[in-house]
Amino acid sequence: MTQSSLRSNYFVVWNEIVKNIKFLLAYPIVFVFWAIFPIFWFIPFILQGQALVGGLSSQAFAQIAGTPEFIPFVVIGSVLNSYVLSSLYGMGESIRREAYQGTLDYVLASPCNKSFILIGKAVSESLTSTIFALSQLAISILFFGIALTVGVVMPILFILILLILGLYGIALMLAALSLRFKQAHDLAHTLEYVFYLFSPVRYPVESLPLWAQAVGKLLPLTYALIAVRSLMLLKQGIAALYIEVLVLLVIDTALILIGFYLFNWMENKTKKSGIISQY
Amino acid sequence: MVHIDDEHDTYSIQTVNLTKAFMKKRHKGIFGFLRKNTEKEKSKKQSSEAVTIALDHVNLKIRAGELFGLLGPNGAGKTTLVKCLSTILIPDEGTAIVNGYDVLKETTMVRASIGLVVGGERTLYWKLTATDNLMYFASLYKMPRAEAKNRVNELLEMMGLLDRADERLEDYSTGMRQKIAIARALLHNPPVLLLDEPTLGLDPTFSRQIRNQIQELCKDEGKTILLATHYMYEADEMCDRVAIINNGQIVAVDTSNQLKTMVREKELVEVACVNPPLGIEAELKALCSDVDIITLIHGDEAQGKPSRIKMIGEGAEAHIGTVIDALRKRKVQITSLNIGMPTLEDVFIKLTGGAKLTEGGEAQLGGQEAQ
Repeated sequence: MTQSSLRSNYFVVWNEIVKNIKFLLAYPIVFVFWAIFPIFWFIPFILQGQALVGGLSSQAFAQIAGTPEFIPFVVIGSVLNSYVLSSLYGMGESIRREAYQGTLDYVLASPCNKSFILIGKAVSESLTSTIFALSQLAISILFFGIALTVGVVMPILFILILLILGLYGIALMLAALSLRFKQAHDLAHTLEYVFYLFSPVRYPVESLPLWAQAVGKLLPLTYALIAVRSLMLLKQGIAALYIEVLVLLVIDTALILIGFYLFNWMENKTKKSGIISQY
Repeated sequence: MVHIDDEHDTYSIQTVNLTKAFMKKRHKGIFGFLRKNTEKEKSKKQSSEAVTIALDHVNLKIRAGELFGLLGPNGAGKTTLVKCLSTILIPDEGTAIVNGYDVLKETTMVRASIGLVVGGERTLYWKLTATDNLMYFASLYKMPRAEAKNRVNELLEMMGLLDRADERLEDYSTGMRQKIAIARALLHNPPVLLLDEPTLGLDPTFSRQIRNQIQELCKDEGKTILLATHYMYEADEMCDRVAIINNGQIVAVDTSNQLKTMVREKELVEVACVNPPLGIEAELKALCSDVDIITLIHGDEAQGKPSRIKMIGEGAEAHIGTVIDALRKRKVQITSLNIGMPTLEDVFIKLTGGAKLTEGGEAQLGGQEAQ
């Protein structure tokens, strides 16, 4: 890739992000949602945990989770799950919105590499998820005494990026389905609960039966949660988590490759059927 | 008749046996998916009844710098052709060469060579400003940021919208938005413009402005323009040559004047009248059964546009008396009579076997166009 094409591709990604942020700013009611929803979303997790374990920490919980602290455990699950939600719903919805606005034809009839448009869409979604995640983190620090040490920030960000890359692969698959079937919302909703059920969002993976644990091992969220909890709660170093990192890299590569392949295949199929601008 | 000399003409657009068919969707009701197809339905699905031929072996050659009209009713295949040329629809058979690039094999180069404008309400981001819209699309055409900024300002000035550049498009009128759509097509200064009903839904003032701009782009900037339209005026007055398309087939290609010679003087009679009663068309067809085509084009009496009865074919002139008597008997007011002055509309009616057009030029033929 030449320097000028690299710059023009960066310009595509940047403009896609700017466009999506401007859409967001065009609807001020969204900010009310972002201010309130993290609280509504997150506090029931904690209250449920408190009711079940009889306080903020439990030795019984420690036996399967490795840490007696229930709240930090759930906070991490909830924050990382924010990225799952935005990835599942964001990109597919964005493709659907392009079709609804009548702009999808023009986007697809342009000579730029569509991958960069998709990357722009994905990064926009991650930015909104980060606002959501930071809101939750702020609530946890202010009201529930969660401590975040400076030393683990970089390793956590590294794991977070690995998680997000894998989720982009899934988002691409859902965007491909949106392109062809015009509606992937219900599938995204189902997948959301697959993540909930099989990944250790609210409970340790050890609580699941063996077959369910095997399913959970296919999901990038499982490894990201294990890694971040190990970093934050068990005070392990990133070097000790090389297996999780390697598995995440493998899953990410597979999901992204499948995602791009599926998107290109569906785009081609949709161009043959003539339903590209339908919504 | 304009002859095309293959050795000396340069073509910007060339289609070779371009064919596209769409499967018709069958809706079987809410619980239809539970019902098994009967043998009759299965055979129907496999037969040609389940397929709409949108383009049927279309062969066209459009010269560089030509303003070429594609005239046809809704569902004739105009949009499908434009979509195939712009690479957003893949043809089933044949191909097209745009600016020297194959739409099947060199899609990126084709896309860089064309500017696309489709008529209709929504083709832009209404929540963004004109500048934001154009800057976004400029990035998709790989334009460096500084160059894009200059070009956007230049185009906004050309469209007379520079002072409203920072307003969201939701605050624009339909005509202003269409100007931005044209500006978007011109961002990367493409040699070929594909315009599909660019004046659809616009008021006469904006339509005129946009038509003038299209003509200037062709004349002053040498762009090759394919103008798909169902407005007779656009095809007749603006285009160097016109192709008439019906049911996916090109039925004629020539200059507007040459096409008009296809309807001979004695073959054409047009009677303008006010409020013709129901059934008059069938009555006249029965009375003048030897005339090839008799068609009633409903006018808009409130706007001062009378309805018109057109008779096209051998012996049309001989039946004037019969038609006038029939209309008088039904107390229909006749406002004018035109004998032997063919328009492009008459050619269109003759070639399409009686497809009707309203005063605005909107065709009334059925059929499905690719969405």
